[in-house]
Amino acid sequence: MSGGKGAKMAGGRGTRLFIVPMAMVAVLFVAIPLCYVLVISFMTRGDNSTIQAIFTAENYRRLLDPNYARVFLNSMLLALWTTLLALLLGYPFGYCMARANRRWRALLMLLVIVPFWTNALVRLYGWKILLQANGPVNAVLQALGLIDQPLRMVGSYGSVLLAMVYCLIPFMILPCHSAVDKMDWSCVEAARDLGAKPWYAFLTVTLPLTLPGISAGCVLVFVPSLGLFFVSDLMGGSLMLVGNLIRDQLLKSRDWPFGAALSVLLMAVTVLIFGLYRRSGGKDLGVF
Amino acid sequence: MKKRRKIFSPVYLTLLLVVMYLPIVMVVIYSFNAGRTIGAWQGFTTMWYDRLLANSLMGDALKNSLVLAAWSVALAGVIGTLGAIGMARSHFRGQGALETLSTLPMMIPEIILGMAYLVIFSAVGIPLGMPTLVVTHMTFCVPYVYINVSSRLVGMDPAIEEAARDLGAGPWRVLLDITLPLVAPAVASGMLLALAMSLDDVIISFFVTGATTTTLPLKVYTGLRNGGTPEINALCTLLLGAVFVLVSLAQLWQARQRRRQARDREQANRNQPDRA
Amino acid sequence: MKKLLSVLLALSMLAALPLLSSAEEEKVLNIFSWDGYVDYASVIQPFEQQTGIKVNYAPFSTNDEMFKKLQENGASEYDLVIASDYILNTARLEGLMLPLDKEQLPNFANLDERFISQYFDPDNEYVVPYMSGIPLIVYNPDMVQIEIDGFEDLWDPSLADSIGLIDDARVSIGMVLLSMGQSMNTTDDAVLAQAKEKLFALRENIHVLEYENLHNSLISGDISVAYTFTPYVALALDANPNLQVVWPKEGLGFGIDGAFIPANAPHPDNAHTFLNYLLDGQVAAVTAEWQYYCTPNAAAQEFLSDAYKNNPVFNGIYDRFGDAEYVMNLGADESKFQDIWTEFKLLF
Repeated sequence: MSGGKGAKMAGGRGTRLFIVPMAMVAVLFVAIPLCYVLVISFMTRGDNSTIQAIFTAENYRRLLDPNYARVFLNSMLLALWTTLLALLLGYPFGYCMARANRRWRALLMLLVIVPFWTNALVRLYGWKILLQANGPVNAVLQALGLIDQPLRMVGSYGSVLLAMVYCLIPFMILPCHSAVDKMDWSCVEAARDLGAKPWYAFLTVTLPLTLPGISAGCVLVFVPSLGLFFVSDLMGGSLMLVGNLIRDQLLKSRDWPFGAALSVLLMAVTVLIFGLYRRSGGKDLGVF
Repeated sequence: MKKRRKIFSPVYLTLLLVVMYLPIVMVVIYSFNAGRTIGAWQGFTTMWYDRLLANSLMGDALKNSLVLAAWSVALAGVIGTLGAIGMARSHFRGQGALETLSTLPMMIPEIILGMAYLVIFSAVGIPLGMPTLVVTHMTFCVPYVYINVSSRLVGMDPAIEEAARDLGAGPWRVLLDITLPLVAPAVASGMLLALAMSLDDVIISFFVTGATTTTLPLKVYTGLRNGGTPEINALCTLLLGAVFVLVSLAQLWQARQRRRQARDREQANRNQPDRA
Repeated sequence: MKKLLSVLLALSMLAALPLLSSAEEEKVLNIFSWDGYVDYASVIQPFEQQTGIKVNYAPFSTNDEMFKKLQENGASEYDLVIASDYILNTARLEGLMLPLDKEQLPNFANLDERFISQYFDPDNEYVVPYMSGIPLIVYNPDMVQIEIDGFEDLWDPSLADSIGLIDDARVSIGMVLLSMGQSMNTTDDAVLAQAKEKLFALRENIHVLEYENLHNSLISGDISVAYTFTPYVALALDANPNLQVVWPKEGLGFGIDGAFIPANAPHPDNAHTFLNYLLDGQVAAVTAEWQYYCTPNAAAQEFLSDAYKNNPVFNGIYDRFGDAEYVMNLGADESKFQDIWTEFKLLF
């Protein structure tokens, strides 16, 4: 923000106190568990998910196995596709919502959120029913004469992607909506008055002005989608994602230190991505 | 041009909402399935509702979930909003680190976080139960509020706050009278998301819950993984029904308020015809 | 620190012991198992009404999660745990179980002898067998051209992209090992390398990997063959009686789920009361019919319905003990299976 110094002086000590509770939560419930994970990632596995306090870097050496690299790549790709699709579908929704009549807006927001107050698994089962070979989607397609044989969509990459987007799209819609909502429309009007075509005005004025919302949305979708492995499991995607790998190492192989090392790598990758983003001008956006 | 946008907007909103609700409609329909599967329709029954309503374990779980969600979302709302405002209005060393640390719970795979909590709470001797559930849920809810409020604060004119401060308002006054009303929509949407997260969390909850504080999502999740019965569908149907009744009532009440306000304004205008 | 704490705790408990033993146990029972694995309507509710004991039910979704929690908590929160054989063995060896007081379990005699004295509890000191099952092949003859009678048939080229397999390293690699005439618990690297190659050759035929609920895909027609657990086979048959159930000729995997009382259970007496109740023939029969598993309870046989007894999934198990093999925990060698499975799933 350009007014950084001024804001600091004006904000003073009182405002800074506002941070204290969040800092306490961050230290007690984030930093400490993370340190624990970091420490055990350098230890040796014992029997039955116990840990022996013998230092080793073996867990990190094992990460070099190309198979694990492919697991990470799989997860990144799925997360990228999910974010992209969520943005393409969610931004227009947030935009339309913000332009809607004030009376409708609160209702729309609730309609977006309410499905997400029920368990994600149950909703995914709903999708399975819709998409399965004897399900309504196939029935409609067959009735329309578009297909002869039912499509076997459950378990395909597309169905996993659909389910991922479905699970995370409110996290794109809400920040985009909030960004469009607070935008200063006089800028767009000015551009239009100066003869800009609607699309041009959108690209050069609206889009940059709503970037903070878009970036917040992308973060909120991309990051969780790296960890949402049960979506693929449930849709029968049979994909090996980082989340599956970590769960299998922790619970099935009962190899805590290696599971911890995988988690550390995942976190490092995520933090790195946002570190780079922040460097490359993301700072202006305020969020990350 | 203008007309096209007017048509596009409601059509798109409706279309996406329909897609969002279709799977839920299927869940509702299959809560009446006589078979114990979602693979095929095997006749109509209300048996699952009878079983559900007779099950006192479900009532316990519902109560636990609501208590948990209320506490954790409220706490996260306060902590996240204050944090976002504080961070936006001050600059200090390590601010970036603190921001990253606070939002990190979103990036850590839940399973490792849950297991770390379990080990740490056990080591320190904190008994597992509602308090451990509340603090952990609060922790992963904070980032959702924080990010929403932060993105709203960016680019918001600090001059208004400064003006208030120049006029002698203390930080709490400024917060309550100026900043909060401005960020209220973002706080609301952040808390709504946090609520969705809290009501959906199973993995962390599993590791930090006690013997008597089973939450509804935990029941649903483990139930579905254990073959699942339409009882779970029935449960979700009832919950959604309850939510929709509440939402509709709130909408009706709001509409009524709005009408009353409009009427009052009209009355006021009519009483002062000269001013028009 | 942890040790000191537990010593202090133990001391304080010792001090409280005379008080506790004289007083009646609190009327509460905390069960820890898969959700719905003890049915509320037909089992828990009648128990609550008979005894006045309030039952709390904490669910878990995998054995391993349960184990981790018990291990960290010093087995002090729950009164009764129901879980699978291999984890029962681990829990017993870790000292997480309380010895059963047979005086309080007169119904223990109801158990079928073939189900007791198993490897997870050779002297029947800790575990009460609850349910038992065998993963089977089930297929839709309308969609499959060949006749399937063993694992080997799954590699038939006509089954391209039509099989659903259990998404679990041990069960599915175990299936491949059985098809090769090997033990499901082998740790021999050469054998595992062969099994890996054979598993990879199955990739073309697999449409979906899923741990639970494969029956849904079979019923809906998304897959035509499934290798899945007993209750899912039975549920699939319920919805489509035309389906064929196959007892693979090469050998069978086998599993028993059993109940035990954790070492430091707060209400062990109530747990015994409940265990004895579960062991009642009639209760065991109701449980088996609802859970769609085989019951290890001999006294339950007379109460089982004909529909259940004639179901091809349930009536075979008693004759097939000879061919069946448990999946056991292999300690550090478990990783060998997980690594193969990870690589296999990367083919998808």
